[in-house]
Amino acid sequence: MAVKQTKTNRRQFLKASAAAVVSLAVVGSAAYYLRDKSSVKRTGILRPPGSVDEKDFLYACIKCGLCVQICPVHAIKLADWTSFLSYGTPYIDANVQACDFSCDAIQCAETCPTGAINFQIFRHAGDEAVAPLYKKYPNGFPPEINPFEVQIQAMRRVADMGKAKITDPQLCLAYHGKGYSGPLGKHHALLRPPGSKERIDIAETVVNREICDLCVAYCPLGNEAIELKELGNGKYLPEIKDGCVGCGVCQMLCPTEPKAIVVEPRKDTV
Amino acid sequence: MSFLYDFITGDKSLKPLPPKKKEDLPYIKEGLKFNEWKEKNANKHKWRNRRWAFVIFINLLFVLSFHLGWGVLEGSLSGSRLLGIYLMDPYNSSQELVISSKTGFISHLTTNFWIGFFVILTFYWLVGGRAFCSWVCPYHFFAEWGEKVHDYIVKKKKIREKTYDITVKYVFWIGFLIVAFLTQQLVFEDLNPVGILSRSMIYGPGLATIWAVLLLAYEIFGIKRFWCRYVCPIGVTYSFVGDLSPLGVKFELDKCAHCRDCQDVCLVPHELWFVKKGAATKEVHYTGGDCTKCGLCIDVCYSGALSFGFKGLTANRWGYKLAAKAEEASKNA
Repeated sequence: MAVKQTKTNRRQFLKASAAAVVSLAVVGSAAYYLRDKSSVKRTGILRPPGSVDEKDFLYACIKCGLCVQICPVHAIKLADWTSFLSYGTPYIDANVQACDFSCDAIQCAETCPTGAINFQIFRHAGDEAVAPLYKKYPNGFPPEINPFEVQIQAMRRVADMGKAKITDPQLCLAYHGKGYSGPLGKHHALLRPPGSKERIDIAETVVNREICDLCVAYCPLGNEAIELKELGNGKYLPEIKDGCVGCGVCQMLCPTEPKAIVVEPRKDTV
Repeated sequence: MSFLYDFITGDKSLKPLPPKKKEDLPYIKEGLKFNEWKEKNANKHKWRNRRWAFVIFINLLFVLSFHLGWGVLEGSLSGSRLLGIYLMDPYNSSQELVISSKTGFISHLTTNFWIGFFVILTFYWLVGGRAFCSWVCPYHFFAEWGEKVHDYIVKKKKIREKTYDITVKYVFWIGFLIVAFLTQQLVFEDLNPVGILSRSMIYGPGLATIWAVLLLAYEIFGIKRFWCRYVCPIGVTYSFVGDLSPLGVKFELDKCAHCRDCQDVCLVPHELWFVKKGAATKEVHYTGGDCTKCGLCIDVCYSGALSFGFKGLTANRWGYKLAAKAEEASKNA
């Protein structure tokens, strides 16, 4: 079989290039059109903690999935083509597995090579929180102060993924003065309760609450993010405060169907 | 475009050596008939088998590192970490650099990004650029099989073979960077079958996987090696460093029988232009940047005229240009 040498002449080259330029133009304008579609805006896409503004995130994320691999609770997934230009970018489905900050150091941000998940904000926040402590106690810390805890809590505070919201008070068990007993979750998912060192499987943990307060009891940020407010007549309702960062643990644990509390992802410009 | 063609083929622009005499051909020297000689030295698949084993090994290592938590090779082919050292896809990173220098995000890129970018470029400069294609790329692995099917269909005369100008890939290379700059999106990564296949294997298949399969089908039933030859800007990026690589496939004219079977099996036949009778311009040639170091030509060669060799730092298009200039200057002097 004789091999045809790929000869080049000006005409052939120009013809092929014209086809290339046309296809690039089609692909480019499609991308430009899709970028401004609502489907890629943050609505419905909960990004990992510390993600930069969506307009930067869409190109800064190199779609390698290192954040997916490092997450110890497997909260992060990569989006498919159904998310258009967000294809391959990480998101968290809080219904399935929320971010419970149990990795402590915000490892997805630390591992991100491009800074799409920006570790610097966590580093600064953590450093700023412990610096005065080191000044105050130059000769070692008293037992009641754990600088590591202080640092981690400061890092959690700046995660800024979104904000929890009560969808409808009528759905909330506590609003009707009801309790909850049964497994912490209907499906297998991991969670580290506040103050604990171990992760639990929510499907295998049975709880019994006189008044349902799962969203409050298991919030990784504690009462600076959410508190149960008494409304009188035996009625209660969780109140979401400014400290909420939208990690989604409350959404994951809420036993009602549909969920009485959901996280609204941070709304960014695209 | 003669300029672009020179750019790819390096020393092709020099004056060819006189064609070999018949008595110098290796099978005549051995006193055999051409077909007897071919049969005697045929059926080696050493490099092909090694290479396929390596492609499977490296992609399996990605999958197992994630699913078994080995932590040896994390991430995917668009960005990964090998035993703690970051590696970045160079074209993906190039797009990122183009966009982020426009938006100012470039200062947010981590040190690991820069390390990964330069480590990968240095590594592939050392081992020969598009070695990535045939030794790592999962799409190339499937496309290689697809090419065999395609050749079979062409042989059965079900479809007609069409070839296009391969320099069009440079248009795509620049074009996708411009598109990235204008739309501020990693547009190419949304269509990149290499990244898509890698992610599909590691994180599970999705809708995007269908695109990679469609592309493969198009290569089989439409244009031979459409994506790899005419489009893929990742390969082009690697070919830039590959041309300057100190390693290449070495060709020795005195051993060659001009059967050109190597060009038949070659995945980028233009790189073996010098095997044609009367085409070689020097006694020893090395393949250029488009060569994927797949070793198919070395396997098929009946006389050992082709081998992996150390070509040094001057046996590339820039080196040839400089040498030609120096020669001209000495003639004039």
